[in-house]
Amino acid sequence: MAALAALLASLPAAVFLSLLFEGIDRKLHARMQGRIGPPVTQPFYDFAKLLNKESVFPSSSSKAIFASAPVIAAASSILAGAIPLASLVAGTSVVGDLILILYLLTMSSIMVMIGGSSSGNPYGAIGFSRKMVMLIGYEVPLLASILPLSLKSQHSFSYHGIVQSQVGMGTCFAFAYPSSAFAAAAFLACIPAAAGVVPFDVPEAKTEIVHGYLVEYGGPHLALARLAKDAASFALSFLALTLFFYHPPLFEGHASLGGLASAILCVAFAPAMMFLTVTVPRTVFARLKVGQAFKFCWSLPLTLSALSVVLSAAGF
Amino acid sequence: MTGETRELEYDYSRLVVPFGPVHPALKEPVHFKVFVKKEEVVDVGLRLGHVHRGIEALAETRNLVQAMYLVERVCGICSHSHTTCFVGALEEIGRIQPSERALYLRTLVFELERLHSHLLWLGIMAYEIGFDTLFMFAFNTREAVLDLFEEITGNRVHHSMNVIGGVRWDLDGRMVEKVGRSMSKVREAAQRIREIFQDKTVEERLSGVGLLDRGAAQELCTVGPTARGSGLKTDVRKEDPYAAYGALEGSFSIVTRTEGDAYARTEVRIFEIFETINMINEILARLPGGSIRPGETIIRSMNRVPQGEAVSRVEAPRGELLYYVRTDGKGGLRRLKVRTPTLANIVGLRQMLIGGEVADIPVVVASIDPCLSCTNRITVIDLDKGGAGEPLRRRRRKWPH
Repeated sequence: MAALAALLASLPAAVFLSLLFEGIDRKLHARMQGRIGPPVTQPFYDFAKLLNKESVFPSSSSKAIFASAPVIAAASSILAGAIPLASLVAGTSVVGDLILILYLLTMSSIMVMIGGSSSGNPYGAIGFSRKMVMLIGYEVPLLASILPLSLKSQHSFSYHGIVQSQVGMGTCFAFAYPSSAFAAAAFLACIPAAAGVVPFDVPEAKTEIVHGYLVEYGGPHLALARLAKDAASFALSFLALTLFFYHPPLFEGHASLGGLASAILCVAFAPAMMFLTVTVPRTVFARLKVGQAFKFCWSLPLTLSALSVVLSAAGF
Repeated sequence: MTGETRELEYDYSRLVVPFGPVHPALKEPVHFKVFVKKEEVVDVGLRLGHVHRGIEALAETRNLVQAMYLVERVCGICSHSHTTCFVGALEEIGRIQPSERALYLRTLVFELERLHSHLLWLGIMAYEIGFDTLFMFAFNTREAVLDLFEEITGNRVHHSMNVIGGVRWDLDGRMVEKVGRSMSKVREAAQRIREIFQDKTVEERLSGVGLLDRGAAQELCTVGPTARGSGLKTDVRKEDPYAAYGALEGSFSIVTRTEGDAYARTEVRIFEIFETINMINEILARLPGGSIRPGETIIRSMNRVPQGEAVSRVEAPRGELLYYVRTDGKGGLRRLKVRTPTLANIVGLRQMLIGGEVADIPVVVASIDPCLSCTNRITVIDLDKGGAGEPLRRRRRKWPH
């Protein structure tokens, strides 16, 4: 019952944190470019503004899919952000929920993609095909980088189980074994692609295909589609921190405060992850072409994750 | 639901992607009909004329001084090129020789304009390849040049520097020093921009993209950095010196590259920035004394231009800009013809785009540095498709000749 309450409370928290993280990201991005940048609260204003606007459905779209896709996408990625939060707070989780979280993130990408392609716009169609390629590019190394963690924590695919096994070891996975260190590197290298930021924002490249799958969206549906993206990058940076960098002396918190304290600490440190994997790449790199992006995903992250799987299977 | 069924099918073998007239990669409206096969471009159709402003016809209704302000507004970036070209033609018709100092000052503003235009373009190019940080940096650097314009002429964009037989504003010693100081700052920044453009991710996006070989570049009459990026050693400043370029011939060289791709055109512009900075320093060092404009009123200078015609060419930042001017001897214009560099370069785009990827379209289009509303001299009306032509033609007739 407490777990359910924690999950319900985590949903609005995940929405809030997703938007807040986008605000932090935009501010840091601007400061690195020598600009003042928008206030951290800007994404909230944008979100509220878009919610109050009209949604226009193109006549060439298949309306049911076009309208429902962003809703499902936002719901999945918010859930993907809320589940880890809730399990940290409640101190418990369901068996195999880590797989659920990763598939919810994929679901969110797929739904936005399908929504875009159902718009009947050629840019949406190109965005669809590019996102498809990117999905194949980063999903494989991303999922493979989770395997070593599972092997090192008694074959568990429970999110909380993996976090707790770091407590048991007294150190975080990124520094515990060579295999998990490689896995951490692979996971981090996949985040820019999974979050869809420059240099991997090929599916929505605004100067090439006018935001690709988002091209026909407006109003509340655009707000939800963007929220889905924000929530995905929040979920990814939060996962990266808790799965690989949950250093017990730092994050365990006081026994009296329990899970809530460590969840708050993790949230406070997660922007550092986001800074490394979202803000820095999108500030210092130019956009890649879809072929180049795919080649990157299947060279560096895939090698790293394959290496980590092999190493962990060999017991390192 | 209305009950009607709608077929949603994409023919991926030949998808027509409209690129423009409204597109985030375009600063101005132009329409490309891009035929794509998956991600490959198989054909391109081009349509201009969305922002035809009737400047030539309007100029014919005004006197020479008014026309000067009008032609300055052909372009918001190379405004000084247009007045220099126009005033060059008038001075040729009227056999008016501006003073040495005036010519040097004209050249100074001309080169400053090339500097800010190239910096702007580098920023745009960075933006096209999704490199916002470089875009911000280039525009920040450009701001220093715009500030100089404001201090020299009072205006950041439309400088109104030229008058018939001279220039309007002089530089004092303090200002000469200030321009020199700014130049060393801009040089440092340009050095950094050059280093960033040599980065691998940038090079990967630009090299081998938008190929235009030397033969095609010559055949299609491309001009400016577009032609120089394809190995054509052409520059009006050397071939047909105007203003003070004859005297400054030794202080700059023509930058050429033979690769003929977007990266070559980028390199040409980056190295031209350094050439331009050198030339500006040279101008500041050699600035001759004397008056900057004739001691008579503008009206009197205007009336000294007799009936006649002349063709004038200048090397605008985007390439050769050509004016044909025919005066009526009463302080007015009988005919004005403007050929902007983009018109010469834009026909090369089809060649550059075919065989490329959709991802490359913005980069290739940007690589010729299109200045589209300057280019729109005519509006093509298809009479078979609608009767819009007739009322337009009638209105044209009402304008006095």
